[in-house]
Amino acid sequence: MEKAKISASQLFILMVLFELGSALLVPLAIDAKQDAWLAILLGMVFSFVLLLVYHRLYTYYPDLLPTEYMQRILGKVLGTVLAFVYILYFMYDASRVLRDFGEMLLTFAYPDTPLFIANALLMLVIIYTIRKGIEVIARSGELLFIFMYVLAIAGFILIVSSGLIEIKNLQPILEEGLFPVLKVVFTQTLYFPFTEVIVFTMILPYLDNPKKAKVTMLCATGLSGINLIITMLINVCVLGVDLTARSQYPLLSTIESIQVANFLERLDVFFMLALIITIFFKICVLFYAAVVGTASLFKIKSPSRLSYPLGLIILFLSITIASNLQEHNHEGLKVAMFVIHIPLLAIVPPFLLLVAFFKNRKKHGENT
Amino acid sequence: MKRKGFFLLLMMTITILLTSCWSKKELTDLAIVAALGVDKTKDGRYHITLQIINPGNVAGGMQGGGGGTQSPPITIYSASGDNVVEASRRASGRISRRLYYAHTNLVVVGEKLAKEEGINTLVDAFDRDPEFRNTSTLVIANHSSAADLVKTLTPVDKIPANKVLKTLEFTERKWGEDVKTSLQEVMKSLESPGRGTVVSGFRLDGNPQQAQKLDNLQESAPGATLRASGIAVLKQGKLVDWLYGKPARGTVWILDKIQGTDINIDWEGRKEAIAYQAVRQKTSVSAQVKNGQPHISVHTRVEGDISEMEVPVDITNPKIITKIEQSVRKEIKQELKTAIERAQKNKTDILGFGEVVHRTRPNQFKKLKTEWNDVYFPKLDVDITVEAYVRRAGLRNKSFLSGLKENQK
Repeated sequence: MEKAKISASQLFILMVLFELGSALLVPLAIDAKQDAWLAILLGMVFSFVLLLVYHRLYTYYPDLLPTEYMQRILGKVLGTVLAFVYILYFMYDASRVLRDFGEMLLTFAYPDTPLFIANALLMLVIIYTIRKGIEVIARSGELLFIFMYVLAIAGFILIVSSGLIEIKNLQPILEEGLFPVLKVVFTQTLYFPFTEVIVFTMILPYLDNPKKAKVTMLCATGLSGINLIITMLINVCVLGVDLTARSQYPLLSTIESIQVANFLERLDVFFMLALIITIFFKICVLFYAAVVGTASLFKIKSPSRLSYPLGLIILFLSITIASNLQEHNHEGLKVAMFVIHIPLLAIVPPFLLLVAFFKNRKKHGENT
Repeated sequence: MKRKGFFLLLMMTITILLTSCWSKKELTDLAIVAALGVDKTKDGRYHITLQIINPGNVAGGMQGGGGGTQSPPITIYSASGDNVVEASRRASGRISRRLYYAHTNLVVVGEKLAKEEGINTLVDAFDRDPEFRNTSTLVIANHSSAADLVKTLTPVDKIPANKVLKTLEFTERKWGEDVKTSLQEVMKSLESPGRGTVVSGFRLDGNPQQAQKLDNLQESAPGATLRASGIAVLKQGKLVDWLYGKPARGTVWILDKIQGTDINIDWEGRKEAIAYQAVRQKTSVSAQVKNGQPHISVHTRVEGDISEMEVPVDITNPKIITKIEQSVRKEIKQELKTAIERAQKNKTDILGFGEVVHRTRPNQFKKLKTEWNDVYFPKLDVDITVEAYVRRAGLRNKSFLSGLKENQK
């Protein structure tokens, strides 16, 4: 662990940017058709439960990284193995997001550029940022957060004023009943993007005021959830369900539809800037967690040294992870979701909490 | 020190990469495609016609004194291929520049192609391409090939694609017998279950050979011109009918795209005696399902002014105004009814009634969906209610004709 502190508001900003990250890019929860917004809303609400689990674990060990308290809870061997698995997960997730970023750029703007170059350029910036530590990440977050919201609000006003929104596209609500929506909630939206914030348990120990952790986590998830709901509502209203489902990047198509007064059009840059900002922070946070986790696990004195090797691993992983975009998306939604996200985000933490609860009660009982 | 040197080197390398010369497109190497026409050749292949802007000749007008009339503002290239993308790539053998589709605002589909093969198979190429915009307008050539339409030179607006777009935009709003349909809208309605599609129609009046020549523009009344003409009705992507006149306007009305139009009513035995000018209108469609039988209500509310009277009418009397309003209501209702009957005869739900049933009664629509166009829609019960209001009557109250009549007594 480095000696750094971040404030609650910085944590809030990082979490919001993190959760918007690649979730803004994809047709999130579109399997629920016009009820996608509902699936996101419910995903957000249910994610609060898991967030409280993560937070409770943090209150047991406020000064320790999860990779450290896992060893306390499960014992040296098992804890180390589990911590290692989580570090791998963070790196895998980072490389997925990096791949998303590269694919987006190549599909849309740079068809002749190799994927490696696009990914490498972003990764170089990220490696540099990671070397500077969490405080720098948090401060740059504050700057770009404002920029991002100015963009978002301007985009929103333009979409509304160009008269593209057709509310009737959202009807009929709950056409097939609640079940398909719940299925999407528990197989997709709950994990991606909401409880992916488990990575922030690696950052919570840096918080200068631990009491604020709970409120900050819930508020950040709430705000980003609302933003995602609005985005998806707009996408479906503007494009309709079928076109949204067919789009690789529905938000891009929505923004391309803007035509205000015959001269304000082709505002794709808005989309690109917003996505590059949020994806940058998403990768930064995941990468940072992997770096400090590795440092604590292998007792490395200065974590920043790890940024080059781990960064290169993430970069190469992002290239080799899939041979095309379709495979990449399939892996993300159908394979990684069940093999990685559900066990690591929804099953292991409650189990850890249970063990921690009994261990601490016993300890507590002995003291009195 | 060594490290600093390394960083310096790294940063310098990055700056080279960041100038983003990789996929650069020089403006002088781009052929900006303004419009794209798609036809079918005799052997069943696609024939595309590209309207490319000659930048020098468009800006010519700015230098005053009839500059830039030496050569036309556009140049046409065409090529054939088994699909649109192939044809487009083949065309590059004829053009010295790279074809650039990001500013293509108009796609014209030939009538023959639309009728025989339909537009379904075409659309994916446009939808998928990142350069091509879904907001571009789709037009079906009425009684001519797409090639002829794209080749025509136009006065006033130098770029023919712009002329087509502006014409559609203004007639949709001010007259209402035409629609402006973007590729995205067309796709949306093609995809929607049990729905027919409307697409704007455009035609070339006059000799196609004449239309391509600059001489054509040097007459005050050009022999060959382009005009908006009719609304194409598509059933499952294939052209089945053209709507003109009242059914066309009624259709645009029910689709709630009209802003203002002109409606004539009869008065005291004289046909079309009073011109009523609609200023704003709002149409809503609602649906009910009773005993498995769908029932549609169309409600429209229109406000407008009296803009011409050919008979002496004393409109200072509010009762007369009420009477005029009633006649307007009847007239509009009749028009909407013609539109609905025409759509029912075609067995094509271009008015989106099926969608309304789907939205409000999703469970019942499931049973109706498969046979909607052929069984349920043609015998659909439609209630039309019209609210029409006269708000103003221009600068005068009584007509000049009233004064004439009184003084001659």
